[in-house]
Amino acid sequence: MRIKIAPILNLVENSEKLKPLTNRRPVASLPFGCRYRLIDFPFSSLTGIEASSAALFIAGSGHSLYDHIRSGATWGLESSVGGGVFTHSHINLKAELADTELYTGNYYDDHYHFVSRSNADYVLLMGSSMLSNIQLDSLVRFHEKKESDATVIYKKIKRKDVRKDSTHTSLIMSENDSERIAGLHSLDELTDEEEAVLLNMEMMILDKETFLNHLYSARQQQKDVTVKNLIQFSLDADKTVFGYEYTGYLKVIEDINSYYQANMDMLNEDNFNALFYRANPVLTKPKNSAPTYYGKKSEINNVQFANDCEIYGKVQNSIIFRKVNIAEGAEVNNSIIMQDSYVEEDAYLNYVILDKHVYVKKGARLEGTPENPIVVAKDSIIYAEGEIEKGE
Amino acid sequence: MKTETVAMILAGGQGSRLGKLTKQIAKPAVPFGGNYRIIDFALSNCANSGITDVGVVTQYQPLILNSHVGNGANWGLNRHDGEATILQPYSSMDGEKFFKGTAHAVFQNIDFIDKKDPEYVVILSGDHIYKMDYQKMLDYHKEQEATLTVGVMPVPWEDASRFGVMNTDKTDRIIEFQEKPEKPKSNLASMGIYIFNWARLKKYLVDNQAKNRQLTDFGHHVIPAYLRNNEAIYAYSFEGYWKDVGTIESLWNANMEFLDAEHELDIRDRNWRIYSNNPNTTPQFLTESAKVTDSMITDGCYVAGEVEHSILSHSVKVGKNSYIKNSFIMPNAVIGENVRIEKAIIGEGAHIHDGTEIIGTTDTIEVVGYDEEVGGYSDEN
Repeated sequence: MRIKIAPILNLVENSEKLKPLTNRRPVASLPFGCRYRLIDFPFSSLTGIEASSAALFIAGSGHSLYDHIRSGATWGLESSVGGGVFTHSHINLKAELADTELYTGNYYDDHYHFVSRSNADYVLLMGSSMLSNIQLDSLVRFHEKKESDATVIYKKIKRKDVRKDSTHTSLIMSENDSERIAGLHSLDELTDEEEAVLLNMEMMILDKETFLNHLYSARQQQKDVTVKNLIQFSLDADKTVFGYEYTGYLKVIEDINSYYQANMDMLNEDNFNALFYRANPVLTKPKNSAPTYYGKKSEINNVQFANDCEIYGKVQNSIIFRKVNIAEGAEVNNSIIMQDSYVEEDAYLNYVILDKHVYVKKGARLEGTPENPIVVAKDSIIYAEGEIEKGE
Repeated sequence: MKTETVAMILAGGQGSRLGKLTKQIAKPAVPFGGNYRIIDFALSNCANSGITDVGVVTQYQPLILNSHVGNGANWGLNRHDGEATILQPYSSMDGEKFFKGTAHAVFQNIDFIDKKDPEYVVILSGDHIYKMDYQKMLDYHKEQEATLTVGVMPVPWEDASRFGVMNTDKTDRIIEFQEKPEKPKSNLASMGIYIFNWARLKKYLVDNQAKNRQLTDFGHHVIPAYLRNNEAIYAYSFEGYWKDVGTIESLWNANMEFLDAEHELDIRDRNWRIYSNNPNTTPQFLTESAKVTDSMITDGCYVAGEVEHSILSHSVKVGKNSYIKNSFIMPNAVIGENVRIEKAIIGEGAHIHDGTEIIGTTDTIEVVGYDEEVGGYSDEN
């Protein structure tokens, strides 16, 4: 079903706690699940409503993101008759620039032009750090049925499912109508670990006019165009704001631990099927590759691999990306190994995340814990003596 | 810049000796090696040789083949100055233009080639597994000032009578051609790879047509006609891996050879990659009960059973307690639990139900056809 929609992806997401994985990439470019990047999930959701264009707002250079997205053709975002990916980079959120006169960008204008020039009926806001697979056509149907001015996607979670100091928010529903949103909580104010909360997934649909009005308010008040702020503008203007419950797989990627856990979750078939097979097929940049070869003495137990690997050693409970070589006698447990890494003979890895192109020398040992996996930066070399020559 | 070379990949053949496997699809579209279809090798060779104008001549059961090739984008052939074009028989004022043979297929597509106006035409078969730099062969063709260069490879003398063989003089000029001779005078077998000077070939095809003498086949008619006219025909020797997977046994064998990490084809060579139409699917999932050794597995697979010395193409499912050995499983096949498969080829989308045994021998490889169901409940009785 094609829906006339103007999707805005706010990819200026907090990446401090994901370092060193985010040293040189935004959260949206984080590799996930052997062959994906986080941006693939919102983009694949867009294919479900045949969206033909999307605006991206990113901070910094975003090289890895451009390289991955290219023309957007993978997700149907390239056509000779309109549409496309409109990227706005080097965006600094107004909040970061509070009390400074430095801001000279076109933050509000960029939003305005993208939306006002599109022929969309609706504006959709999404990010990439809420790992999920959303069926947007159901969201639009709900929005229309409720005759809602704005609809926000939420999921019921336990307070402890996100960080204690999480910067995310939860929804407060109206006493008269459990589907209507009355306000927001900052999650860091809620301390009861077991408490059920309605997590604001920071995905929202609004009518075009409503959005443009809010954009004007944001400009007046010098506030960022975020779901949190748009909910507040809507409530302030007495608009109807509904919550739409998402019941599929969700992981909030906010630190190394949640990133690690999300990957490990995929080794559970229920989670894997929920994320990949229950809603939209997840599409990623296509790559030419050979099948993965498993050697005569390889021992594999509960592992996911991408193509193009050569595996001769023992691998358990792990996520292995493309072009990884694990030599005979090497053992890899409970780990994430990204593209182009090489593990030599008799090396031992347990609870480790290797970023791209890490070389583990013969006999080297690295062992983290489930709560604190060891993260090795891109292009590093790990020597048998335990020394790590750092990459980026 | 003028187009120097157009490649014509002849992909219209049925490949009848592949039995069930070419019942619904043309031989060049038969899956190979987990991630490929046979025609990927010729198409990738073109791309890697810098030939970006490629006509793919299809005829027999073309649906899957045509959609696989598309506009050639997966091989980088959709350029501003080049493209892959599917060429199918069509009807016209002169009647229907079905292709009666290899040379006739080119004759029927003269307009396509003329539109590109090339100096040379490279004629290829879409049926073979090999890596070859056609540019080197073209350089040789120019050096020899040949009007036709034939790609040949030495085969064991005892096999020579199965091929078209080229008898050459000391300068590698071809002086005689024997099609499947009882007593071969040479062991240089034709690979079905030809480079022609286009203007000359076109003249032969058109003139003979005008005289009602059709040059239907390159081997049977064109090469003999060139020889009669004393054209400069040279043999270009190729000495790499080359396989015509024309039979069930040779298709199975080629796949088993492909498993060897030291295979001459070197599928992981980044400098001569074999491209394909890549499915966008999930990673391969090898569960707690999986055991996989000496095998190739492709994205989208789910393996809960045991796999030994076999190839699983993309999106294959293997249930618990199933055992697969020395077999080639094509894409999207579903293999249930407690299944045993040895020395077999399982077709695309086939469904092998729980508890089934499919055991072949080296001489008689078992084949399950595309979308075929084996075992399980049947309501035929």
